[in-house]
Amino acid sequence: MPFVRADLHNHSCLSPCGSLDLSPAVLARRARELGLDLVALTDHNCARNAPAFRDRARREGLAALYGVEATSAEEAHVLVLFAASEDALAFSEFLEAHLPPLLYDTRLLGDQAVVDAQDKILDLPEFYLGAALDLGWDEVCAEADRRGALVIPAHIDRPAYGALAQLGFLPAGPYAAVEALRPQVRGEARGYPVVSGSDAHYPEHVGRRPFGIELPGDWRSGDGTVRLEILRDALAAGLARPYWETGSRP
Amino acid sequence: MKTSDLPSLIPCSPVYDGWEPKDIRGGYSSDLLSDVMSKAKDGYVLVTIQAHKNTVAVASMLGLAAVVLCNDRPVPPDMVEAARDEGIPLFSTPQTQFEVSGRLWTALRGDAP
Repeated sequence: MPFVRADLHNHSCLSPCGSLDLSPAVLARRARELGLDLVALTDHNCARNAPAFRDRARREGLAALYGVEATSAEEAHVLVLFAASEDALAFSEFLEAHLPPLLYDTRLLGDQAVVDAQDKILDLPEFYLGAALDLGWDEVCAEADRRGALVIPAHIDRPAYGALAQLGFLPAGPYAAVEALRPQVRGEARGYPVVSGSDAHYPEHVGRRPFGIELPGDWRSGDGTVRLEILRDALAAGLARPYWETGSRP
Repeated sequence: MKTSDLPSLIPCSPVYDGWEPKDIRGGYSSDLLSDVMSKAKDGYVLVTIQAHKNTVAVASMLGLAAVVLCNDRPVPPDMVEAARDEGIPLFSTPQTQFEVSGRLWTALRGDAP
């Protein structure tokens, strides 16, 4: 079975805290240069850079997933991933209606740029994408699961915005895996498969914490789309190896 | 002071009825449950906006006297159910954590060791 190098947590210039230099094109190019096979774009609460990333990932020969890193009402982060950019955009639209109309100051909070595959700015959303949704953790996860997404609590062991810090412990949920920054020594992952992720906000972050996973040969369909159920099954079967097990940082 | 005295102290209402009044020995205000787990103690009232069933689990684990949910945060049904199961009194208030904490602190000062 092919050993796939995957990284399912990456931001682009659409995230207020993401570097303007990390366009979807740069993310795809850096990922290919570093030898990654499967990469997801997960901006905060918004997937509007998914079409640009889809085009550039195809050009680089990368397998891609599209989604968001959603901020629940409890201010805990969860990755929601789709195989089709259209599904990610539909989920993003759903989330947009649940974002508070907060005052937004690019000087303090950073730029939020929707770009095309050539890095041309198409839009600068005027509401703060990093805010907490008015949807609770369980509601976000259930809605994402209902839409067939892979649901992966992000950096559960991070002191800020991780499920363990915000919620005390990981609530049960429809998780395909959980993302952690380090081995879960005290069983905080509650038996869910553990993956690592780069949470890249700058070009130099790309590929810093990938994971490896054995996938059957047909994990991509003829047109290159990732077969999400194959990935879900492989995660459930415990075939993922976080970077601290593979020792394979680029 | 008992948990049954809370509605006369702060403008709040119990989210469900039928709980046993408990003695209040102190209070703690926080929204990070990991922080609550390390700081709140037996008999404390937790003042928070963290309306999630995990809040009830943490309250039960620590033996908290009650949870006051501020800012009129919507309370998910599974949180109410968990509170009922665990016997943790839940109160909802339109006031902020600052206002509720202030009133609680003032009222408890006389009881404090």
